[in-house]
Amino acid sequence: MSHGAELVRGVGLVKRFGGIIANDAVDFAVAEGDLIGLIGPNGSGKTTLINVLTGHLDPDGGGVLVRGQKMSGRPPHIYAGMGVARTFQLTQLWSRMTVLENMLVPGLTRPHSTWPEVTRRARRYLELLNLSPVEQLQAKNLSGGQQKLLELGRCLMLEPAVLFLDEPFAGVHPRLREEIITAIRELHQGGRTFVVVDHDMESIFRLSRRLVVMARGRKIADGEPAVVRMDQTVLAAYAGL
Amino acid sequence: MRRLHVYLLFAAVVLALVYADRLNAYWMHVAIIAMYYGILASSWSLLAGYVGLFSLGHTAFASIGGYTSALLVKWLGISIPLGMAAGIVVCCALGAGIGWVCLRMSGPYLAIFTLGFSEIVRITLSTEDDVTAGMAGLRTETLFHSATRLPYFYVAFALLAVSLLLMGLLVRSRWGLFLRAIREDERAAGASGVAVARFRILAFAIASGFAGLAGGFYAHYIGIMTPSVGDLDEMAKLVVMTVIGGMERLPTAVGGAFVVEAVLELLREYGQWRLPIFGIVLLLTMRFARNGLLTPVWLGFVRLGEPRVERRGTVRDLPQKDSAA
Repeated sequence: MSHGAELVRGVGLVKRFGGIIANDAVDFAVAEGDLIGLIGPNGSGKTTLINVLTGHLDPDGGGVLVRGQKMSGRPPHIYAGMGVARTFQLTQLWSRMTVLENMLVPGLTRPHSTWPEVTRRARRYLELLNLSPVEQLQAKNLSGGQQKLLELGRCLMLEPAVLFLDEPFAGVHPRLREEIITAIRELHQGGRTFVVVDHDMESIFRLSRRLVVMARGRKIADGEPAVVRMDQTVLAAYAGL
Repeated sequence: MRRLHVYLLFAAVVLALVYADRLNAYWMHVAIIAMYYGILASSWSLLAGYVGLFSLGHTAFASIGGYTSALLVKWLGISIPLGMAAGIVVCCALGAGIGWVCLRMSGPYLAIFTLGFSEIVRITLSTEDDVTAGMAGLRTETLFHSATRLPYFYVAFALLAVSLLLMGLLVRSRWGLFLRAIREDERAAGASGVAVARFRILAFAIASGFAGLAGGFYAHYIGIMTPSVGDLDEMAKLVVMTVIGGMERLPTAVGGAFVVEAVLELLREYGQWRLPIFGIVLLLTMRFARNGLLTPVWLGFVRLGEPRVERRGTVRDLPQKDSAA
């Protein structure tokens, strides 16, 4: 399933919020070329895991390695600089900035980047995501689906090695959902690595090459989608048993 | 004609400089003080409008800059420009410190924290009268020993122009884009590779430095520094100026400073009632023109000379080559 070098690894990750254990000794590794579906019932700890793996939350136990480097205590922009990009469960765009400006910011954070080169690259990705006609609109004026696409585009401007997408299909029109799936597939074929969290099982099963299932803060299954979906523990977790 | 607004602005500046000597002493003083507030309002706009850091300690930095310069000139006998430069450096350093301490604060928490800082500065300056002369006021060296205020007018004008130029270059650079991204959503900015903490500290340091510059000029113009320069009334006035003008653009913030200062003088015959009048204007601005009363005026002005179809705003929504950079 994993066919490349290891990009991100979480070892024994523990994250507590008060008395609630959101992540309970979770091991999670992402290798180059992976297209991982991360699923689980509500409150199973998926988003917390992404937050920890991308530097947005510090783990209470365990640690995160990016390309073999220990990352404890480092801020999110260091992760981004090392090629770890993410989207958010609730789309977090810079709403009063234009679509193009949203794309320029991550591009311009890269070392040795120049405005003309970043602008060209931003327009290329906007073309790929069918957002070219709205590049001068403020991001808040986009539809929900377009906002998801823009958030994906913003990640791509980092030229990341791995993208964590948190619920990219939530609240998206089926036609736009197909666009997002197509974009992810094309980008994956182009060499990008993805971890996709969503509740849309059909889309996740269609997309992913590897499926990880979480329940009650723990990783309960990890393997090929066809095998994992028949796993009794997984079925029990989803049935609430 | 493209850039018509730039030519018009340039012409207005030239006219103002050429005919400045026709202002009587009173209105010349009002203009100089308006430019002092212009530097403060634009630098506060940089912090609150561009980065979203609603600090209520900005006039405290003007006070620190003024006292630092005045005291160094008095004690060490250094030149006034050097004293003002030292004031800027001290304000930048203190601003960076405040920015660092406030890293995880925003909104009302940041406002209250910086208000506390401002009060500490004011009370310290008031009570340490061995050093600062307290409420009696510290006599300062003036920049010029001239019978007219005209040299001060030109210096204030130059300081405002240089400040606006430097801040304008900043907000139009990639750093300006990062600062706006931080204002819109810090988490997303961090996830996009923006060093949020570094840029927040930098914004505090730069804005405080400009406040220190304004304070230094004020100290060596008025000839006396009192703790009231940095008090809450002054801060409230600065907020009113910036909000009424439009806090998300440097020129509108400066315009707000000019308009409020001028109107306050024109309403002087109404005594204290002029302040409630401004309160009402502020309320109406917040209700009906959140971007400031001058923002639509400014946007109309910068679009002068653009093709009519573009001015309607429809064409601007379509892709335009090289428009972002």
